[in-house]
Amino acid sequence: MTTVAALAATPLRAAFVRAAAAIGVFAALASLFFVSIGQPPATMFVEIARAAAGSGYAVGESLVRATPIMLCALATLVPARLGLVSVGADGQLYAGAIVGTGALLAWPLAPGPVLLSAVLVGGAIGGALWALGPALLRAFVPVHETISTLMLNWVAAMLVTWLVHGAWRNPASQGWPASIEFPDTARLPVLGDSRVHAGLALALVLAVVLHAVLTRTRSGLVLDVLRDNPRLQAVTGCAVAPRIVATMLVGGAFAGLAGIVETSVVQGRLQSDLANGAGLAGFLVAWLAGNRVPQTVALALLVGAVLAAGDGLQIATAVPSSATLVVQGLMFVALLAVGGASARWRGVGHGRG
Amino acid sequence: MAPVELRLNGLCKRFRDVVAVHDASLVIRGGEVLALLGENGAGKSTLMRLAYGMVRPDAGHIEIDARRVRFDAPRDAVAAGIGMVFQQFSLIDTLSVRENLALAWPRAPWWLGRDARRPGALDAHLARLVPGVDPRARTGDLAVGVRQQIEIAKVLLREARCVILDEPTAVLTPAEAGALHARVRALARDGFAVVLITHKTADVRACADRVAVMRAGRVVGEAPAADAADARIVEWMVGVAPAPAAARPARAADTPVRLSVRGLCAGPVRDVALDVHAGEIVAVAGVSGSGQVALAEALTGLRPLDAGQVTLDGQALRAPGRPARPVAALAAIPADPRRTAIAPSRSLAVNLALKRLAVQPWRVRRAALEEQARAPIARFDVRPPDPRRPAGTLSGGNLQKLVIARELQGDPTAVVACYPTMGLDVVATAQVRDAMLTLAANGCAVLWFGEDLDDLLAHAHRIVVMFDGRLVADLDAHTATPQQVGVWMSGHAIAPDPLRQAA
Ligand SMILES: Nc1ncnc2c1ncn2[C@@H]1O[C@H](COP(=O)(O)OP(=O)(O)OP(=O)(O)O)[C@@H](O)[C@H]1O
Ligand SMILES: [Mg+2]
Repeated sequence: MTTVAALAATPLRAAFVRAAAAIGVFAALASLFFVSIGQPPATMFVEIARAAAGSGYAVGESLVRATPIMLCALATLVPARLGLVSVGADGQLYAGAIVGTGALLAWPLAPGPVLLSAVLVGGAIGGALWALGPALLRAFVPVHETISTLMLNWVAAMLVTWLVHGAWRNPASQGWPASIEFPDTARLPVLGDSRVHAGLALALVLAVVLHAVLTRTRSGLVLDVLRDNPRLQAVTGCAVAPRIVATMLVGGAFAGLAGIVETSVVQGRLQSDLANGAGLAGFLVAWLAGNRVPQTVALALLVGAVLAAGDGLQIATAVPSSATLVVQGLMFVALLAVGGASARWRGVGHGRG
Repeated sequence: MAPVELRLNGLCKRFRDVVAVHDASLVIRGGEVLALLGENGAGKSTLMRLAYGMVRPDAGHIEIDARRVRFDAPRDAVAAGIGMVFQQFSLIDTLSVRENLALAWPRAPWWLGRDARRPGALDAHLARLVPGVDPRARTGDLAVGVRQQIEIAKVLLREARCVILDEPTAVLTPAEAGALHARVRALARDGFAVVLITHKTADVRACADRVAVMRAGRVVGEAPAADAADARIVEWMVGVAPAPAAARPARAADTPVRLSVRGLCAGPVRDVALDVHAGEIVAVAGVSGSGQVALAEALTGLRPLDAGQVTLDGQALRAPGRPARPVAALAAIPADPRRTAIAPSRSLAVNLALKRLAVQPWRVRRAALEEQARAPIARFDVRPPDPRRPAGTLSGGNLQKLVIARELQGDPTAVVACYPTMGLDVVATAQVRDAMLTLAANGCAVLWFGEDLDDLLAHAHRIVVMFDGRLVADLDAHTATPQQVGVWMSGHAIAPDPLRQAA
């Protein structure tokens, strides 16, 4: 255990150690599972690797899958820099999709750039609005943000279902509950004939900006200080409450963007279940990455790849879809186990007398 | 109970670049009180955390009764009969005393019922060790001295044979410290081994059998307590003979009021009015729980005011509903800096700049912060003097010095200092005291909350006494005697003793 502690001496190295450990645990668990369903693990891992990055198409699918996870991870990370535990990325993602789609429905004939910006900004605003309630409750009541954001996830998901079954249902789509298709003018461009879209670039740019703000500016430093000790508001004169609201709103905007990008570019229309687990995956990614931006981005790409591989596996091999769900679940188990264990190691020897 | 013998052999512990404990050996015996002394950062706490399994040694080993043991966690040390009371109490404030004990008791039944009433053995244990305390009392409401006794009771509940106390008397009034000394002597008489980390020679005199002195991570000397005169101990600890205490600065008559408190109510504090003039040192005394910490919190901005107002040089400083802002002219040294004044995982440089955090340039230049940190770090000899280290890794005394260094930067016109020398070694204590005296000599108003009456009477111009949340006396410190102040502190001078009345 001493060696683990020594290895994990710097934050960056610690993140790598954790990622490596998570992959190791995942490989072990998945092997057991493959053996138990009568599949040779070695072959399956080769298939997983191939499905994740074996071709241009596979890489593209991995990136597409990683994009909302990355944005949702950043959505968790921003409030976490103030010590808040928001699990509301899923709900904010749905809310972003709703408001973004609402912008499309409101001005379907607006000129391209205007429409696209309205849709994207609408998405960000929707996510932020969905975070506003929990933010105010936490800042002024105080109701714990973890509970309130979690509860609101279901509400937002139901809201989407209700809209696409009712008011926003596309009359032209027989039976299938979904909104109208997003016109090309309301979609971010895609790369060549892949499904990789400019949302990924947007996420990466935002990540760089966010990283700079969090590590180089006064605002970032104030968050670090108040996270460390909220009582320092008297010493510093920096109040905690407005910063709770601000970080929650920014986080919500990130998740909202994930929602509208997924809706407009990837799925092409608003429909139920569009989150596809991105919120939860993003939460785990941010947590495992120690709420640091570079590590979060890297890990989101990795997790996106594994999830995409799970989808690919179904097509390439004979395993049933339920089995790939189990494999994806095992990956989350591995992430949780390693994250929890490293939190324990970090706890050792840090008490001060 | 067989007296225990705990041997620490050649223990080493380094935290990355800092050697905290270097080849330290020590024998701790049952039936004996060992006082562990040493300058701030000498490695006392770390050595004892090694013995308690909180930190694992890089080299060396531990023996109990000549058997080698290995502690991976405090759990193992507890099983081996070692208990430790930290300076930060581990009691849960919102639980009752009985519940706190039940939590620590290995034989607690799985079902306690509301208010943990069932285990009568707990109450018996408590009554024996801390007589007079109500087992149903909310722990957070009790005086520090009582809480400390409960901590010890908790350690003994787990059948410890060796009890380690890390600076237990730092926050106690002399009377409370006296009770602790008696408890410690009684433990030794019953065959327990007691280790007492302390900076106070009074503790050594009152209850130690043997002293061991640490410097720079090593145990550099041991002697029977009877042979160790105060001056000798001090010289051992810090390598120099103690300097005589500086005299209090003479005070010019008729200086203007700087810090003015009117009708202040905040929590337990009721209707306090007080003026501190330029160049004046006013001491605030009181038995613990009389509201002096709450008053200091209200003045330093940690506690909202219910009523009243505080002005500094005529400018409003605190008022009800007014959010606390840092004021450069006011040096605020709170009672528990680790909890209220420090961002533990941020660097010394950031911690020294906390008061100026809101006015930092938009783009923070860490190199500049580190540069600005060098002078205050050097002035109060914060060790290790590396502006980049996280503040939370400092030893208790060095952390206190860090907060003082931050607050006394610039030229404050008023100082509100709550136990400013808590946890400091003799050299640092003298230095902090001198800094405050010098400030007063230059016209600063100093309000000094202290626990040691002799100290306060020797250095202050005026001494005010708090009892039950009110200021009950305002005495001239040149003429007041400790007995006189003591009477006011106990409340006898204003009301019949409630305890005696009840009897
Ligand atoms: N967790 C840690 N990480 C890094 N350095 C540490 C850690 N704990 C202690 N140190 C360093 O080890 C040295 C010894 O610290 P320790 O707390 O044992 O001193 P001490 O003798 O108890 O001093 P004090 O009288 O001030 O309480 C100090 O230089 C301190 O900075
Ligand atoms: Mg210490």
